[in-house]
Amino acid sequence: MTEKKGHFDEDLDLRVSPKLSEDLDTLFKPQFSVPPEVDRAIMDQANRRLVQRHWRHRIFRHISLWRVAAAAAVIIFAFSLNLTQKPGPTTTSSFIVEAQAVDIDRNGRVDILDAFKLARHIESAGLTGKSLSPVSSTGQALEKRGWDINGDGLVDRNDVDLVALSAVRLDKHKGVL
Amino acid sequence: MKKCMVISLVSVSLMLALVYVKVGQAATRIGPKVRFAPLHIYLDSGNKSLAAYQFELKATAGKIKIVGVEGGQHAAFTEAPYYDPAALANDRIIIAAFNTGRELPKGRTRIATIHLQIIGDAEPDYELKLVVAADADAKEIPAEISFEKGE
Repeated sequence: MTEKKGHFDEDLDLRVSPKLSEDLDTLFKPQFSVPPEVDRAIMDQANRRLVQRHWRHRIFRHISLWRVAAAAAVIIFAFSLNLTQKPGPTTTSSFIVEAQAVDIDRNGRVDILDAFKLARHIESAGLTGKSLSPVSSTGQALEKRGWDINGDGLVDRNDVDLVALSAVRLDKHKGVL
Repeated sequence: MKKCMVISLVSVSLMLALVYVKVGQAATRIGPKVRFAPLHIYLDSGNKSLAAYQFELKATAGKIKIVGVEGGQHAAFTEAPYYDPAALANDRIIIAAFNTGRELPKGRTRIATIHLQIIGDAEPDYELKLVVAADADAKEIPAEISFEKGE
């Protein structure tokens, strides 16, 4: 690599001879003279344009960077939310919220015995597996007691299920253990 | 120019930090050993017939996730009991069931089976509390609750 290559003429004299310079000057010299004011005006205009372009370029770069930074912030925020994790199933239907207040045996707590007792009431009305119509006297009696939990006008197995689900809700029982 | 560089550097650093955290989380998610095992729950109501029960189970040692709940052994309790679906993928659950029929179990009977995902090598332990047990007349009865670990 350090070997000197013979065919490159490194010592070639690249200086222009004064004669050639003089000839070129004569050949390309303008035929008229440019007044210095015009010269200055052209230079000023060129400078103004260059400055304008420079500022436009800087502003554009700033905006672009802020856009990149904003996009990065949005991506980071989206990742921090962890959108891939979906919330687990919850039992927050309005009916269950209502069922929370249902204490069939009025012992101060809602447990499976409330659902059991309601189921027995329904069965003792002789309508096992069927719905109690609110127009029947038994149905009206049960409805009056506030046992139509889902408010569909019937006291049936669906109401029993709501009471039972209310009894096993995790957020209601903050831990009996 | 300096400001731009700082902004870019901060953004890149934040992204890298986030990626590092996510990769770490993924690694720990894959890392621990996982196995599945059932936990059988028994209730002994003595000479009284069992018509309704409610209990709570909670893991006190080890890391578990509840993945499913199955009914019991006796025909009166074979159907899946009541439980909060939010308990799935959790380590605590409240389970309850009742039967208004006349054919009810007496003595010691398996009332439910809880299917668990056990994470890690630590052997889990559980705390079990009977909330209530009742006979066919919906009267509370004394009963003893216990569990057996299945394979």
